Amino acid sequence: MRVHLAPLDHGVMDPAPARYAIRIHGHLGATVLSAFPALVPQRYGADTVLTGLLDRSALYGVLAEVEALGLELVEVRQLTPHRKSPKSGDSRSP
Amino acid sequence: MNRTAPRLIERIDLLAALDRAAAGKVTIISAPAGSGKTSLLRAWADRPGQPHRLAVMQVQRDQHDAQQFWLALLGAVRQAVATPSHAEPQAATPDFNEPAMVDRVLSELAGQCGRLILVIDDLHELTSPDALAQLTRLLTSLPGDVHAVLTTRRDLPLRLHQLRLAGELAEIRAADLRFSERETRELLDASGIALSASGAVLLHQRTEGWAAGLRLAAISLADHPDPERFVAEFSGSDRTVAEYLLAEMLERQPDDVKDLLLRTSLLDRVNGELADLLTGRPGSERILLALEDANAFVVSLDPERMWFRYHRLFADLLRLELRRALPEEVPALHRRAAEWFTQHGHVVDAVRHTQAAGDWPAATRLLADHSFSLTLDGHTQTIQALLQEFPPGADQPELALVHATVDLVQGRLDEAAAHLAVAETYAETAPPDRQRRLQVAIASLKLSLARRRGRYADVLDQVKFLASPVTGQSDEDIALDSDLRAVALMNLGTVEAWSLGLPDAERHLREGAALARKIGRPYLEVGCLAQLGFASKVRPFAVTQRRCREAIALADRHGWGAEPLIAPALITLSGALVWTGEFDEGERLLDRAVQALQADTGPDIRLLLYHGGGTLQAGRGRDHEALEKFTMAEHLRSQLEGSHALANQVTGWLLATQARLGRPGEARALLAALDDERAGSGEIRNACAVICLEEGDPAGALEAARDVLDGTAPVIGYVTAVEAHLLAGLAHRQLGDQRAANKAAERALALAEPDRLVLPFAITGSAALLEALRHETAHAALLADILDVLHGSSLAAEDQSSSPPVEELSPSELRVLRYLPTNLSRPEIASELSVSVNTVNTHVRSIYAKLQARDRSSAVQRARELRLLSAGRTR
Repeated sequence: MRVHLAPLDHGVMDPAPARYAIRIHGHLGATVLSAFPALVPQRYGADTVLTGLLDRSALYGVLAEVEALGLELVEVRQLTPHRKSPKSGDSRSP
Repeated sequence: MNRTAPRLIERIDLLAALDRAAAGKVTIISAPAGSGKTSLLRAWADRPGQPHRLAVMQVQRDQHDAQQFWLALLGAVRQAVATPSHAEPQAATPDFNEPAMVDRVLSELAGQCGRLILVIDDLHELTSPDALAQLTRLLTSLPGDVHAVLTTRRDLPLRLHQLRLAGELAEIRAADLRFSERETRELLDASGIALSASGAVLLHQRTEGWAAGLRLAAISLADHPDPERFVAEFSGSDRTVAEYLLAEMLERQPDDVKDLLLRTSLLDRVNGELADLLTGRPGSERILLALEDANAFVVSLDPERMWFRYHRLFADLLRLELRRALPEEVPALHRRAAEWFTQHGHVVDAVRHTQAAGDWPAATRLLADHSFSLTLDGHTQTIQALLQEFPPGADQPELALVHATVDLVQGRLDEAAAHLAVAETYAETAPPDRQRRLQVAIASLKLSLARRRGRYADVLDQVKFLASPVTGQSDEDIALDSDLRAVALMNLGTVEAWSLGLPDAERHLREGAALARKIGRPYLEVGCLAQLGFASKVRPFAVTQRRCREAIALADRHGWGAEPLIAPALITLSGALVWTGEFDEGERLLDRAVQALQADTGPDIRLLLYHGGGTLQAGRGRDHEALEKFTMAEHLRSQLEGSHALANQVTGWLLATQARLGRPGEARALLAALDDERAGSGEIRNACAVICLEEGDPAGALEAARDVLDGTAPVIGYVTAVEAHLLAGLAHRQLGDQRAANKAAERALALAEPDRLVLPFAITGSAALLEALRHETAHAALLADILDVLHGSSLAAEDQSSSPPVEELSPSELRVLRYLPTNLSRPEIASELSVSVNTVNTHVRSIYAKLQARDRSSAVQRARELRLLSAGRTR
């Protein structure tokens, strides 16, 4: 019995969720996409990019699903850093 | 399904690579889903004429349970080795000693002869970190003629760099598994597919040589009217290979086959009956067999081809498709599957499907009703995994009972108590049909808890349910009741034996063992028998020994010789041997008990372990080591909430050892802290006598020992009286009264004779006392044995297997034999035995002949080896 993606409000212990883009080779059809209900698919050339707000455990859940379905993972990228980096402008003294 | 089924092809290069790899210890095939790992392994291992035996295990989906993993592995090895042995099939146990289990697998592997290949398929499904660590140990210590092959979808944290450095580790990875153009061509030919050369190249490029893709394509191509067009369309599509080909393949199946594949995809394994149930029509078995014959990602799990499973990637895709195509039917399908699994006794599967259907209350009841039996079956870790699947915050009070069951098995006693309290509160208001069942379960768990905590008075309160008859209930109720009753009898008998010293102990343990045998719970039978040795402690030591040996032999037959369960018998037997001077054998058994108890921190059993260790050291005259052990034992005793059968002996010997080490002051301080009841016990009186002797106060010692000598002080057993007589003898000696000293020592010998006790003489340091008695005793043989031990040699444990068979001595010959170690002449022996010298001469000649001895001393030597000098040992 495969455990499906935990709802996002589930991971209390995790750091704040961040937006991720997961690039997979090939175009995903409806069957495979149903394994990623929390992600929005978009085609880029021969690839599909799945985008969504994921906390740490949800991200690993997605990656496990990618592995289980034999998909070819091309790239995983975090779009919004969940930790605020110091903005150069703010730290300058007047 | 298809007339011309795609066949596996001989992948000669890969088979050769596997052959080369098999020269080392371990091969790892690490490649993504659908790379053809399992097919390759099957093709390699199943080639005809292979000189090796094969042990194959398939790791279960999401295997959290280390114990189930190892049991399956051991089962596979045993099946492959198939040595005719008296070993019972390995059964699971509630306690689980993982290193011991690995040792067992290793010893099975070491015991077999010839080459053996151990295959572990889908190792990535194993999620227990402990199991992976132990697996590393197994792989790095494989015997020389065993080779292991592992398949996994991803690299695992196995620490095998030593093997890699030694060139003993070979890896086969995704790139190696990819089909070449030539192999693609061969696969198509073997499947009877007519495709042009350019079509084959196109198919190879599109699938990138991915095995699952090629196999799926071959199934669709097999009876395709226009294979060239199929490949062209596939090549023109940019969908992922697996999804495209699965859709194509399903599209081309008859409706009943497609329906069966989708609806049964939510099962981890399927048979014809279950598939009929989920599809609502008959004939599923035929379809499953045809699918396997067509090599369509369906494989049978047993030689009879009753159970099947789907290739995992294939099953995962089918499940997604099922949820998409028939979402409203999924819960009902799970429910039907759960019902079937429940009816057929597959509780774990039943719970999983009930959970998947979202029927949380039903899943809770199912789990609560079976958790006790499941722990007995060794599924504790599986229960934990099932517990985690319940949604957090859902109010399922019966789950508290399940938590308590798991807590108890794993030794978390405080958590167990808290969960039991919750369950108890709920049981009061539960619906009537649940109430009785819950209350029986709660009572049994509380009994176990009370026993583990040493809260013995509570135990007796909890056993009232044993009196209620098992009638008018379902078979399931009776089975649960029987499990609970057998465990309750074991706990009750154990407590009665260890704490309360009740004569009922023996009866309850026997009843428990008989019930356990009747209901097919050998684990509980061994558990009861392991305690029986101590429960019979009032009997001759020979009986204790026999019972312990029987329990240990039964445990060994089941492969539980290193489980905590058998520790009580190991320690009791060790104790019986130490009491009779067989220190070496006693120490070996104690070491075994230490191994078995590695993971058990219960104060009750560890107390025994330390007390046994202290006794052994004291017997060997190593007082410093003995003091260390007795101190630990005393500390654990103070943690028990109830009294312990050996409590006074533990404390008494601690005090005596302190005094003997020249610290009578410390001993006196502890003595002063004891209440009157304990201070008046024979064991503590003896300790007091030892302290007086060390303080140079023999009169005080005699005074202290008086109540023990005249039998008014309560004692654990007659062994305490033997000790008291010896202490009195030592006191008389200090007072210069040799006659009284001799009399006391002779009395001790007389008491010690039936069991051939040696230990009290060693512990009290009575060598000089006995030397003085050498020519005056009626117990010359025992005295000689004791002096042997006191002069540093452990009596050899009897080992009849290594001795040549000896013609049995008659009882009168045995009587004469026992005088041979003494200085008595033949006429003196004759007068001792009230027979003629001629009779003694005849017997002595006969003894020499039977023992193949030349003279008196070699006869004695031989008789010692054969343990003929000990009374009560003639069997």
